[in-house]
Amino acid sequence: MRVLTTDLLDLFITRLANTWEVRLPILLPDGTRVIGSPDDGTPALHGGTVLSKPTAAFFPQQETLFTATKGEFQEPQAPDRLLFVLGFTPRDLACLRFIDRFFADGWRDNIYFRQRRNAVVAGLSGYSGPGGSLLPPAGGNCDLELFWDGTLWLAIPYSDSGIKIIAELPDTAPESAMELFRQATLTPPDENENLIKRASELLRADRVPDSFWAEIGDRCIACTGCNLACPTCTCFGVQDWRSATTVERSRMWDSCQLDGFMREASGHNPLGTEALRTRRRIHHKLAADPEKWGEISCFVCGRCDSVCPTGIGILAVTREMVARFE
Amino acid sequence: MFYLVSDKGRVVGVEPSTTHPVSRGGLCVKGWNAFGFVHHPDRLTTPLIRRDGELQPASWDEALNLVVEKLRNVQERHGADAVMFASSAKATNEENYLLMKLARAVFGTNNIDHCARLCHSSTVTGLAETFGSGAMTNSISCIDQTDVIFVIGSNTTEQHPLIGSRILNAVRNGTSLIVADNRRIRLARHAELHLRHTNGSDVALLLGMMHVIIRDGLADHDFITTRTENFAALAAAVADWTPERAAVATGLEAVEITTAAHLYAGAECAMIFYSMGITQHSHGVDNVRCIADLAMLTGNVGRPGTGVNPLRGQNNVQGGCDMGALPDLYSGYQKVSDPQQRQKFARAWGIEELPTTPGLPLTRAMNAASVGLLHGMFIMGENPMLSDPDQGHARTTLENLDLLVVQDIFLTETAALADIVLPAACYAEKDGTFTNTERRIQRLRKTVEPPGEACADWQIICDIAERAGYQGMRYSSPAEVMDEIATLTPIYGGIAYDRLDTHGLQWPCPDRSHPGTPLLHVERFTRGLGHFSPVIHRLSAELPDDEYPLVLTTGRTYFHWHTGSMTRRTHLLDREEPRSFIELHPDDAARLEVRDRDMLLVSSRRGNVQTEARVTTMVIPGVVFMPFHFAEGAANALTNNVLDPESSIPEFKVCAVRVEKLP
Repeated sequence: MRVLTTDLLDLFITRLANTWEVRLPILLPDGTRVIGSPDDGTPALHGGTVLSKPTAAFFPQQETLFTATKGEFQEPQAPDRLLFVLGFTPRDLACLRFIDRFFADGWRDNIYFRQRRNAVVAGLSGYSGPGGSLLPPAGGNCDLELFWDGTLWLAIPYSDSGIKIIAELPDTAPESAMELFRQATLTPPDENENLIKRASELLRADRVPDSFWAEIGDRCIACTGCNLACPTCTCFGVQDWRSATTVERSRMWDSCQLDGFMREASGHNPLGTEALRTRRRIHHKLAADPEKWGEISCFVCGRCDSVCPTGIGILAVTREMVARFE
Repeated sequence: MFYLVSDKGRVVGVEPSTTHPVSRGGLCVKGWNAFGFVHHPDRLTTPLIRRDGELQPASWDEALNLVVEKLRNVQERHGADAVMFASSAKATNEENYLLMKLARAVFGTNNIDHCARLCHSSTVTGLAETFGSGAMTNSISCIDQTDVIFVIGSNTTEQHPLIGSRILNAVRNGTSLIVADNRRIRLARHAELHLRHTNGSDVALLLGMMHVIIRDGLADHDFITTRTENFAALAAAVADWTPERAAVATGLEAVEITTAAHLYAGAECAMIFYSMGITQHSHGVDNVRCIADLAMLTGNVGRPGTGVNPLRGQNNVQGGCDMGALPDLYSGYQKVSDPQQRQKFARAWGIEELPTTPGLPLTRAMNAASVGLLHGMFIMGENPMLSDPDQGHARTTLENLDLLVVQDIFLTETAALADIVLPAACYAEKDGTFTNTERRIQRLRKTVEPPGEACADWQIICDIAERAGYQGMRYSSPAEVMDEIATLTPIYGGIAYDRLDTHGLQWPCPDRSHPGTPLLHVERFTRGLGHFSPVIHRLSAELPDDEYPLVLTTGRTYFHWHTGSMTRRTHLLDREEPRSFIELHPDDAARLEVRDRDMLLVSSRRGNVQTEARVTTMVIPGVVFMPFHFAEGAANALTNNVLDPESSIPEFKVCAVRVEKLP
């Protein structure tokens, strides 16, 4: 375990940027924190919620799949430099692990792995949660983790890359920080995780009536934010841009809250109402994915609840569901 | 508000601001997809000049010299007012200000207007007369502080989704909601009272409500006495408008009108929200007057959680008005007819004399051109071929101009008719400011370079001025333009880029130390006393008859924006709403033997279009609804080019049509 003090942070990031294409939480002019390049703003590794999902570094909202010019196909080149993405909370790392499985399963998604392969993934924990809350260490699922004790970062490596990257940092971790780290590892699962599990049980036992979904769906304005903010949502749409000589095919994040997501060419839609679509969104995470992947695919990051303008993010809905039907 | 995500010179996504007081971490579907058209291959990348009947690539030098030469030529032959400049509610404040300056200072005409003419000119006229200021009186955050929300003529969850969401949240927290709109919009499903009055009968409904309020002692006489004038005239005008009479005129039950009046007037704080359903009528200004009267009658102005709140639809339609892209006003609503104001602007711009008579509103300019009284148009970022009423009339007019210059990001249906096309940068490719519906002036920051040779509108305008021999439009950046705006525009007096970094400022903001104004008319109205402005009920210009038995009302859908030049080139948005449609009540559908998704021929006295049936109880029997976004099946091929006599807004909301099933 090494130590990164705040006075060394800029230098640490500068050195990283010599080797890697760095993405990390930065502060924008209005106080919003996003995952961006060090050139985009001031690094801000702690201080509130980061709404942007760090998984977007590997699966961006829109990306080119190929271009075809006069019959010749060209795939985008692999990035010049590998990505170093800092900013995954322990929950985000669980999401990343999940979508790594998803994109590797069956037909391996080379577009995703073009960015993901050999990228360095760095976690953030300690007092870097929303509102300065304590996030327990991830303890893995990444190359290295930075644990904020309120004054300095403990740097914990989990891979060879991680060991190399923090090798030059001092190894003089203060005992107080070490003790906090040990205590934090013992943090029990929070009530939201239990809530999600209980809601999952209800759904799988078919104990949530259609009338509930009608009520929730009636509040959906189809902004699609819940899907687009979700680190485990992987659905995408495909478009072709045609000019006189070239076709560019790209994909972009799609949303199961949209009518067109499941609309058939005939015009019929098996998910033709907000109620059915909202049910599907929650059901997919809490009931279908456990069947397919052996685990619930909501890792309680809270982003859909943050972006939903009408309060029907997954936590809000499951809270209501559990209160009414358990 | 959102940030753009870019990667290697391309915009690849958006991120919502988490701290913004309006968006609060959320976005609507158009916001989430706002990047989708930026790099579209249809973007204009080079100037185009029509040669041998075809638009052909040209250099900037050629194109801009030709613009100046031809504009001058038209003016020499037909006078300075033979040309019209159309500015854009999608362009920045700085660009609107500069086009206004170009028209007035360089080309010597007040013929400058923009598409606010088509959406909220009734508001600007109606609220200026009653309150002294034609903008939202309150802030969006006031939704959290009110007891009753009265939404009339606004499909808020679809057209202003974050404001609509906030209203839905307020209702869940106990606020009462009245919706007056005969379409069963989402808000109506959550309303305590849904008034499905007939199209064009808003004045009757509002007069009826005011009658009840006065009759039942619910008027705020303290407010009326201390803050307003001309109450006696209002009281006289509503005296005969019993709820029973209003019921006949609106198609409602008298008790609905009484209930609405009691609910609205009985609240400690009540807000009114309205939009095109109020403004786009041949009596749009009268509708606005009634709304202002209703709010003053109950003292619902000048306090948090109250007010008259016209929702502006485009990103900068408020700013377009603020910047004086209007034929009778300079920036900050200063009148061109006022010699002192004229002198102030002339001195600042280094011009001996500015034109004295107000120019033509956009809609009247089109009419003037159609009868040979106007010969040239310079259109920046507007698409009248789809947005103006009576498309046939719009097409003939534009085709017959001696000169049509269009500056845009795509070859729109209008640009396709132009003599010269100038390729502009889109919002992601330039700096500037926009002013939102709650008068909040906010920064726009350049993220990527424009495609090819496309240039920011402000740079093109300044280049034209220079080539026209005017040296007073040399700016190093939009920030410098804003500094000039601030010196000439009292309500923007304290605006400078270094003050807008976080969440902007709400005007009026008269000086550098002023914190901005979330709430208008607090202790006095902008005009001094609020002025009650009684109106008489007038019918819409074209009512259904045997030949055209249905009322057509037009509007927008959630997924598209205006003429669709951007949203129809955004994959997910166009996938959601890919084609023109008409909403038809099941009773009408049964009578016409029409089923859902049948192709229909819709005809009016202006023309006919083919469109797809959507059989739904969203509309009431006898009324059909069409969105105007689609070039194929264009609703505005049908609409009636009849104008409000004061605001010159067209009557998009009511005309008569016939619907037939296509074989």
